[in-house]
Amino acid sequence: MMARMEGFAALGQGLGLRPPFYEAAATGAAPIAPVDWWEVVSENFMGEGGNPRRVLRAARAHRPIVLHGVSMSLGSTDPLDDRYLDRLAALAAEIEPAWISDHLCWSSFGGHRGHDLWPLPFTEEALAHVAARVARVQERLGRRILVENVSSYLTFRHSTMSEPEFLTALTERADCGLLLDINNVFVSAHNHGFDATAFLEAVPRERVGQFHLAGHETLPTHLRDTHDHPICDGVWDLYRHAVSRFGDVATLLERDDHIPPLDELCAELRRAGEVARAALGEAGA
Amino acid sequence: MKLADVEARFYELVTARDSVAATVAAGGPEIRRAVEEMVAGDARLPAIARLEIYADMYFVRIHDVLADEYAKTAAALGAAAFHGLVTDYLDACRPEHPSMREVGTRLPAFLAGHPTTAHRPWLAELARLERARLEMVDSADAETLTLESLRTLRPDRFVTLRLRLVPSHTLFATRFDVVSLWRSDDPGAAAIPDSSPTTLLVWRREIEVLHRAVDGEEADWLRRLASGDVSFAELCDGLGRGRSNEAAAARAFELVGRWASEGLLRADSPA
Repeated sequence: MMARMEGFAALGQGLGLRPPFYEAAATGAAPIAPVDWWEVVSENFMGEGGNPRRVLRAARAHRPIVLHGVSMSLGSTDPLDDRYLDRLAALAAEIEPAWISDHLCWSSFGGHRGHDLWPLPFTEEALAHVAARVARVQERLGRRILVENVSSYLTFRHSTMSEPEFLTALTERADCGLLLDINNVFVSAHNHGFDATAFLEAVPRERVGQFHLAGHETLPTHLRDTHDHPICDGVWDLYRHAVSRFGDVATLLERDDHIPPLDELCAELRRAGEVARAALGEAGA
Repeated sequence: MKLADVEARFYELVTARDSVAATVAAGGPEIRRAVEEMVAGDARLPAIARLEIYADMYFVRIHDVLADEYAKTAAALGAAAFHGLVTDYLDACRPEHPSMREVGTRLPAFLAGHPTTAHRPWLAELARLERARLEMVDSADAETLTLESLRTLRPDRFVTLRLRLVPSHTLFATRFDVVSLWRSDDPGAAAIPDSSPTTLLVWRREIEVLHRAVDGEEADWLRRLASGDVSFAELCDGLGRGRSNEAAAARAFELVGRWASEGLLRADSPA
């Protein structure tokens, strides 16, 4: 088996740091015992001061932090936002995150922002464009980043490769890693009618540095990636398969809306640990 | 199809004022054909319905953030009027900043010129107060001068003390008593606020964001402190116009004591 990339340790089970958990994270209090690490949305902590930065500095004293961005807009044909990258680099210099990640998507056009994760066509042109931008970002940040697969609701007719083929080629050309969002694979597989397990099998094993787990909303015509429900059985099954294939990978539970009490999320985190240990045991048997 | 062309067509459709279906219908059969050639659809979800998902998410996400950040203004306007306001705002002021928090930066100024507030001009001032409070949340930190440290200063040091404001503050003029409106549990049902021109001071003390009205004299001095620094002696001199020396000194001590207790003065004010 090829060794995983350096720089992406198996941190255990982490949780997205959201305002209801700020004080527990800052004090390192007992209720956060099951949380091995925190992932924060980078843009929410780019302000100069105040409570967000105070909490982040304090939380960092107790747990590793990962910076997860939503605005790098790696697939946009707009120029990369240098001021944004400067702010991200400054935040990283202060917080010393375990790593930095963003999404395989575009979210800006003509100088305007969409504040969403818009899908790319999987073409050679888009691949060359994104790979060059990821390489530039990595050079600016002085580190390898993880790029996450997004949930999508449409595909482009002129795509010439599958999403796993695109991701595989991207990681090779840009020498970046993958943040494999298991829920996003599940959601997109349903919305586009592909086999989620086959998707996992097609992703390069050594490039996966982190997993995301989350819930979604089931609508009559499609699944919507909402991060406002508990993880469903199908995603747990897919996660089990992912751990069997990719090994002990840092796993993050995302919850952004209808946020339940911390102990409920910690119960999901513990379940993630149990699923991972069982899958690793089976894989090693 | 070139990536730039894909992004241009997608962006135009999902951020349009109207639904994707209405925008495509208005564009005629050529646009419909182009969309169907670009996006794969099926019986369950045709191409336009798939684009509509993105259009809905674009609007709803921004609407919900603005409704949260401008909760009092949204409540005063009512859900339908606020929805209309956001529709017009996004049409006129497309988001330009990578942070979602900056989406609403221009809303108070936009609201001031919006027909919704023609007969309720105080709503733009209420929005400005909400925006100012939001901007203080993660503004720059500074060590503050405490009342206790002031009390330990020798009188000769006190006279030469340079007074400077913390960076996490803002001042702006209002024509209506929007502080009362902001305090109301139901701004939609609240009485029309009094017309009472004043200056509002918004600032952050540690992690708590505060605001209060200031009178004209205090507002003038706060602006001077904000634009540079002022010594305690200069403050006393300035307050002495129309007052006895004793009354001016008493007023200066009152102001400086209040500013220090409220966390408005920087600790690095050189004595």
